[in-house]
Amino acid sequence: MATFDIDGDLIRKIADLLRETGLNEIEFAEGDKRLRITRSAPAAAHVVHAAVPAAAPVPTGSASVAAAPTTGAAHPGAVTSPMVGTAYASPEPGAAPFVKVGDTVKAGQTILIIEAMKVMNPIKAPRGGTVSEILVADAQPVEFGEVLMVIE
Amino acid sequence: MFEKVLIANRGEIALRIHRACREMGIQTVAVHSTADADAMHVRLADESVCIGPASARESYLNIPAILSAATITGADAIHPGIGFMSENAQFAEMVEEHGFTFIGPTADHIRIMGDKVTAKKTVSDLGLPVVPGSDGPVPTLEEAEKIARDIGYPVLIKAAAGGGGKGMKVARNPEQLREAYQLARGEARAAFGNDEVYIEKYLGRPRHIEIQLLADLHGNVVHFGERDCSVQRRHQKVIEEAPSPALNAAQRDFIGELAARTTRGFGYRGVGTMEFLFEDGQFYFIEMNTRLQVEHTISEMITGIDLVREQIRVATGAPLGYTQADIRFHGHAIECRVNAENPETFAPSPGKIGGYHAPGGLGVRVDSALYDGYRVPPHYDSLISKLVVHGTTRNECLMRLRRAIEEYVIGGIDTTLPLHQRIIAQPDFINGAYDIHWLEQLMGMKK
Repeated sequence: MATFDIDGDLIRKIADLLRETGLNEIEFAEGDKRLRITRSAPAAAHVVHAAVPAAAPVPTGSASVAAAPTTGAAHPGAVTSPMVGTAYASPEPGAAPFVKVGDTVKAGQTILIIEAMKVMNPIKAPRGGTVSEILVADAQPVEFGEVLMVIE
Repeated sequence: MFEKVLIANRGEIALRIHRACREMGIQTVAVHSTADADAMHVRLADESVCIGPASARESYLNIPAILSAATITGADAIHPGIGFMSENAQFAEMVEEHGFTFIGPTADHIRIMGDKVTAKKTVSDLGLPVVPGSDGPVPTLEEAEKIARDIGYPVLIKAAAGGGGKGMKVARNPEQLREAYQLARGEARAAFGNDEVYIEKYLGRPRHIEIQLLADLHGNVVHFGERDCSVQRRHQKVIEEAPSPALNAAQRDFIGELAARTTRGFGYRGVGTMEFLFEDGQFYFIEMNTRLQVEHTISEMITGIDLVREQIRVATGAPLGYTQADIRFHGHAIECRVNAENPETFAPSPGKIGGYHAPGGLGVRVDSALYDGYRVPPHYDSLISKLVVHGTTRNECLMRLRRAIEEYVIGGIDTTLPLHQRIIAQPDFINGAYDIHWLEQLMGMKK
């Protein structure tokens, strides 16, 4: 292989040129010698084609009532769903709901029912406190981990 | 045709099923654990439902959660994928009881083929040759000793409730039999909840040849040729190819026809694969998998037929619409199973993918749910990608595979890509001269 004399001055000159002009890369060839100088730029943003939308989570029943959920599961008072099913706010259709916003609840008190495979599962308050937010509407499908209520 | 299918699985196979559904205009529901909330198929599916925490038992194996998710999304059918509950007869039954179509065979067929003893008996009664061994379960050590004497050592003691290469112990001579027998029963009880075992002759240099089958609900059965899955480590397939370099056309037609005829004989429906050991020109049935298989891809490449689409189509009751004569085989295909493991120690390597570039070009297919920045979770099996290559000849396929592996970049974690590079460079592999012990011998794991 032919030896390749590295011309330090030339490289320095080119590096300056790159900096001045804001270019990232220069390559030139002479005969069978080729020189490429690249200025490492901060990681370029990936070109993402067909941005992958997040799949719609199970459609919230009355989206207008629940509003865009601003309360995440990380909220200390969040009560999250332990199962997949349909949440019911009242013990039976037409009856008063278990709890309303503003109610005081005791630990172990039933706050909702989640129905799965025809079995009604009472959901109990994990701690005592005041119901500050109810994020599911009556007969709304819920998934595991979904925030149902906030008790503070 | 189904309007909405719930995909009861994860990873690359869930993405595979989503793709087939999408191409048929079927809406998809992706059920997932909390650990898979950012999975590719979850992002692409029409709807998603989180069904539980990371542990498989509380999510992908959670029958009430899955059925509940199907109810609240109004799905018509459930596709069980591979592994998890795809061969769980109780699940299949409950799905149908709740008014959904189970995309797979009947619970009875799952049961019959799931018990390896009844599976052998069923196909043997229909004339299929099986590996010589005990005709049924072997309940005592004394019987084990007698059977081993009759069929000759070495012998393999296998769990009746096992399968997929799990729960097997070798005894090379009478001195080893006691321990092998007791260990096998203990492991079977622990792994499958059932300590029933049976015994087979341990073949010296067999190849693993399997036949892909498809049956509709009207008694029509076709086969899609064979796959050679002899490159295995610890009974797990590493590389598969179709057709097998070891079979000639006559042998291929023979075993394909025999497998199809047997399947027709017990009224099967859906996709299924019959697995055989092939030695000295003889085929011996070992088991049947009543589900889609990981390596279905190579059969698709050589026939041009989408097997997941066919699986869904026949589940709706549609007739096949074609016969064996309509299935043509073109060229050669090879699949490399890429795992998130160290290529030498096989230590699991979950974690964040940094820098992902899949190979492309004519005849190159990558079935993977990976993407740049994706985090491979530690809770599930380590298969993260299938590199599938097709060529008009086996040689062209090998050249293409070598080129494609060179291009494939999966950064941030260890993968078995270097192992695959090593395997396909071996003269034995290039010549197609390998059996089911070959890879372990190459790696120094056995003599």
